[in-house]
Amino acid sequence: MATTALARPMLGSVLAKTIRDQRRALLWWGVGLVATAAMYAVFYPSIVENAEILTRYLESFPEALKNAFFGSDADFVSPGGYLHTELFGFFGPLLLLVFAIGAGARAIAGEEERQTLDVLLSTPVSRRRVLVDKAVALVVGAGVLALVLWVALVLLGPPFDLTPGVGELAAAVTATFLLAVAFGAIALAVGAWTGRRALAIGVASGIGAATYLIDALAPTLDAVAWLQKLSPFYYYDANVPVKNGLDPVHALVLLAIAAVAFALALAGFERRDLHA
Amino acid sequence: MSEVIRVEGLTKLYGRSRGVLELTFSVEAGEVFGYLGPNGAGKTTTIRTFLDLIRPTGGRALVLGMDPRRDAHEIHRRVGYLPGEFGLYDQLTGAEYLAYLAALRGDVDEQHVRELAERFRLDLSARIRSLSHGNRQKLALIQAFMHRPELLILDEPTQGLDPLMQHEFYGLISEVRREGRTVFLSSHVMPEVERVCDRVGIIREGRLVTVEDVGELRAKELRTLEVHMADHVAAEELAYVPGVQQVVSEGDLLRLTVAGSMDPVVKALARHEVLDLVSHEPSLEDIFLAFYGSDGVETADASAVAGG
Repeated sequence: MATTALARPMLGSVLAKTIRDQRRALLWWGVGLVATAAMYAVFYPSIVENAEILTRYLESFPEALKNAFFGSDADFVSPGGYLHTELFGFFGPLLLLVFAIGAGARAIAGEEERQTLDVLLSTPVSRRRVLVDKAVALVVGAGVLALVLWVALVLLGPPFDLTPGVGELAAAVTATFLLAVAFGAIALAVGAWTGRRALAIGVASGIGAATYLIDALAPTLDAVAWLQKLSPFYYYDANVPVKNGLDPVHALVLLAIAAVAFALALAGFERRDLHA
Repeated sequence: MSEVIRVEGLTKLYGRSRGVLELTFSVEAGEVFGYLGPNGAGKTTTIRTFLDLIRPTGGRALVLGMDPRRDAHEIHRRVGYLPGEFGLYDQLTGAEYLAYLAALRGDVDEQHVRELAERFRLDLSARIRSLSHGNRQKLALIQAFMHRPELLILDEPTQGLDPLMQHEFYGLISEVRREGRTVFLSSHVMPEVERVCDRVGIIREGRLVTVEDVGELRAKELRTLEVHMADHVAAEELAYVPGVQQVVSEGDLLRLTVAGSMDPVVKALARHEVLDLVSHEPSLEDIFLAFYGSDGVETADASAVAGG
């Protein structure tokens, strides 16, 4: 019977409160994403203008180096190719990953370090419920940011002839979202097992940086080329979603990484002693 | 059900020195049970096993007849808990904080929340970030009481409260007892426990030293009196007054150690002109040393008379 003055719609559940806590962060991340999309759109015409020079310059690179920096499909002049190598090659996934890893690390470990978890878990809300709600909030947050990025590109691209297709943009943004959720879930799992926020951020970011490099560099050496398929980043962009759409198998691999990390988070959190 | 909490051989080991060992005691329905011990004795460890925040290494604790691990949901619904150390959501107001916890509980009477806030003189519209330590403690206390739980588990409930609010808190505990509800509270100060509790469990270095009625404990307790007399009074005159364990007389100052009732010694002193009288509460360590020895084994009273 939580009545009128005491009832707050955005504080009705762990999920609602976690989303409420993210409001401000989401606003600023959204502004950052729109600015990033705008910047890439504004620069596109000058890339097209200088396409010839850039292509010749690129051809002077040794094959291996070219692959490492621009991928085997060294097209950065078409709208899709440009966004693939530039925005979706680095900044886009970086922004979403940083958000998701932060949210995942904060979910359990943040509350534990701030010592708010004891009271929260002394209510009839189970550990499982708290973890599920926090995970859903992370997915919602990453989803909102992906949507913002998509809308920004759909609206800001056309004035600069940056038009890879609305569906293709949706595919690329979805792949970015899935990648972010996978790394967010890894951070959530480390936080749920250890209760340490910095460790969760460190482990998830470390795995992110290492697998990003593996995805970029492994194909340049035949002996270790197979390593590329161990990297989440391979499943993120091997199919070049912004040109070719989403590969369902690749999408499922990213989802599976998230699901396994979430299952581990749950197992660790359920069995553990919480820090006072 | 008469046993609200039942602890059987409860052991929790962390590393080498911390934790609790083989605790066995029970808390009866309707009583106020004090859990007394110095900081680091294992009070918080014991309490957190009751709420399934940590799991025992051995033995078990039953709360409201249920196992905390298996029936956490039901226990949490019926228990109010104040942690010894806690954080609050700084960006919320007090009202928002309580609204959140009330929504998670689902059976909170808002009128009661308002009464509690008025009683503790807490402004619920202020942001938690701006609250003093004492006001944060009040807010955490309100969340423990707000759903009228049948069992309250309070870890060091009066820390940070000023004397007036401590008094208010003691009043609230008495009301809760009158309503037949049960309170388990930890403390590291004897007078507090004596004031509000029916029975006391004393814990030291992870082991339960004793469980006693407050009356018995008080009878054994040593107090130190400092009395300024108008004239010199010989120590011998007071040495054989019942309860007096030790007397030192220096000029017109008397220092006495007294066990049990103060009545005989006060009447003996009253034959002279008393200028001032100060009574010191014994520290917990004094109590342990006087009654249980340093290894927790009860020893014979060591009394001595020193003349001056």
